[in-house]
Amino acid sequence: MPKLTLAEKLEILADGAKYDVSCASSGSSRRNKGGIGNGAQCGICHSWTADGRCVSLLKILLTNACIYDCAYCVNRRSNDTRRVILTPAEVAELTIGFYRRNAIEGLFLSTGVVKDPDHTMELLIEATRILREEHRFNGYIHVKVVPGADLLLVERLGRLADRVSVNMELPSRESLKLLAPDKSREAIVAPMKRVGELIVQTKEERKVSRKIPPFAPAGQSTQLIIGASGESDLQIVSLAAGLYGRLAMKRVYYSAFIPVNIDSRLPSVIGTPPLVREHRLYQADWLMRYYGFAAGELLDEERPNLDLTLDPKAGWALRNLHIFPLEVNRAPLELLLRVPGIGVRSAQRIAGARRGGHLSLDDLARLGVVMKRARYFVTARGRFAADLAPDAAGLRARLTERTTPRPRWNQPSLFDAAAAIDIQSTITGEL
Amino acid sequence: MILRYDGTFAGFLTSVSLARERGLEPEAIADREPEQQGLFATVETVATSRDRADELYRLIRHTLTPGAMQTFRYAFQSCEPGREILLFRYLQLGLATGAQFGAMLAHEAVIPVWKLARAVGREAHRYKGLVRFQHLEGDIWYAAMEPDHCILPLIAPHFAARFADQRWIIHDRRRGEAVAFDPRHQKWAATPLELTATLPCTAGEEFFRELWQRYFDRLAIAERRNPKLQRQNLPLKHRRHLPEFEQ
Repeated sequence: MPKLTLAEKLEILADGAKYDVSCASSGSSRRNKGGIGNGAQCGICHSWTADGRCVSLLKILLTNACIYDCAYCVNRRSNDTRRVILTPAEVAELTIGFYRRNAIEGLFLSTGVVKDPDHTMELLIEATRILREEHRFNGYIHVKVVPGADLLLVERLGRLADRVSVNMELPSRESLKLLAPDKSREAIVAPMKRVGELIVQTKEERKVSRKIPPFAPAGQSTQLIIGASGESDLQIVSLAAGLYGRLAMKRVYYSAFIPVNIDSRLPSVIGTPPLVREHRLYQADWLMRYYGFAAGELLDEERPNLDLTLDPKAGWALRNLHIFPLEVNRAPLELLLRVPGIGVRSAQRIAGARRGGHLSLDDLARLGVVMKRARYFVTARGRFAADLAPDAAGLRARLTERTTPRPRWNQPSLFDAAAAIDIQSTITGEL
Repeated sequence: MILRYDGTFAGFLTSVSLARERGLEPEAIADREPEQQGLFATVETVATSRDRADELYRLIRHTLTPGAMQTFRYAFQSCEPGREILLFRYLQLGLATGAQFGAMLAHEAVIPVWKLARAVGREAHRYKGLVRFQHLEGDIWYAAMEPDHCILPLIAPHFAARFADQRWIIHDRRRGEAVAFDPRHQKWAATPLELTATLPCTAGEEFFRELWQRYFDRLAIAERRNPKLQRQNLPLKHRRHLPEFEQ
């Protein structure tokens, strides 16, 4: 086989890594200590690809060779694809080369499993160590933990990286057994638990002494594939709530299932991947993390799936009409956050602005509230902006109705007879 | 009365200070000759006074909350014509109301300034990702950009901390201004800059440029293709100096 150039290797390894949707570069404010790079607490996007997703980190695999044979995975053993591997030093050099040009915030390093989990982990650690120690790189590094690896290796990795993650991929034990028979639930959850413990423990220790090196300061994340197996949204959202609560998880990513393999165990997806479902799950996820909603408020046994036509916050509001309309000048912040059309920022701005005086309906729009939705759920100085009381039956229809696109105007041709008449009437104003 | 100043922050503060002293609101404060002169408006050229500017600046810092102060600073970096008179009203209200000012988020003198500051802040944040350096002969890292607002002084500290070991220049080609960073002294400075020749790139630059382009083209997932979303997140005007969008 002819030797591949670095560019060709990079293409293959990017192809293998792109299905991991994690993109965040936020949460770490690592300082530049006499080398290159730092962490930006808010995270920075550097570009956007043709699918609209942002590019923040150099997202690559160390190798696409893998001893496992997971049904959904593009890199599985039984696929007849070209296998390549980068050395840890090559990974580090690529990262620095792109970083110096400000094309990336840092590195996202994932990998197939070569030989065994421990050996693979050691390669990942070595790439990270070279970046931190030899290149004195203080930018963002997100590294995958290999399920089944020794927990001491997990700890070493977390001391070097900003974020570590183990992908759960399948929301239930049964699906995992069916689709990823080489991986056990235990092998995935054990490192997650250890990472969670170490994050909490290190944070406490660092309150006493800042000399203790941080452990994964940007936290841990995971990914769930949506639609490859039969779980309901309720199962998925409850699982996510558990991960946020018990394992101190920072982010759960949802990835609409895209069939890259032909496999009888997988659902046959025709047409586009379940992108709307994925979008609704992200909305529900945001409601849990920033808006104070519990999983049980969004879904229950009777309605185990999110409404695809209505966002979950509006759905909750329609089921809880008894608390609306809220008077924005009096309602506590926790309730303002529950109004459709009011986001975290506008809720905070309302809370700030009403200290200076009573707010009117006009003020709300100026403060950034989306009145198109909020008008049905709030009053200001006792005034209600909508023509429809919040208990009216038509409210649901109003909130789901799609704005029809405006008709497009075409440039009429002067030499087209029919158009010429139109132009004539436009000029003269006669019909 | 129209006050004409030199376009600097100190010049603007001097104009505000003069207007406050006279106790009247100017029709406009501008850094160039007004295009349509009002029939009765008189144009007065303000000579920038460091002392006046410092004095007013201290008063503002003392009175405004840090948040209101940042809104004021960011809004000044906007290039919106007419921003000066909005900022004048903003300051007048802030200085008159003092501690109350922080809660006047919905006031008609605050909203337009807040909107300007938000636009500037967003653009500055965006360009922290969109500035792209090229490695030039002579070990200089050069980046060109054409932002809507005057964001160079807002993003320079970010790059100074991040690329502390590189000699870099960020060039605002729209305004003919640049900031240059000197790693020996760890300082950046603003300077006027016009390009007269093409820039000599290193061999490594060509190599990484091609590598990046090929990498980038592989990243999109075909089944999720969504150019509309891409355009929404990255409008065409921002793509001009990005190697991945070069034809």
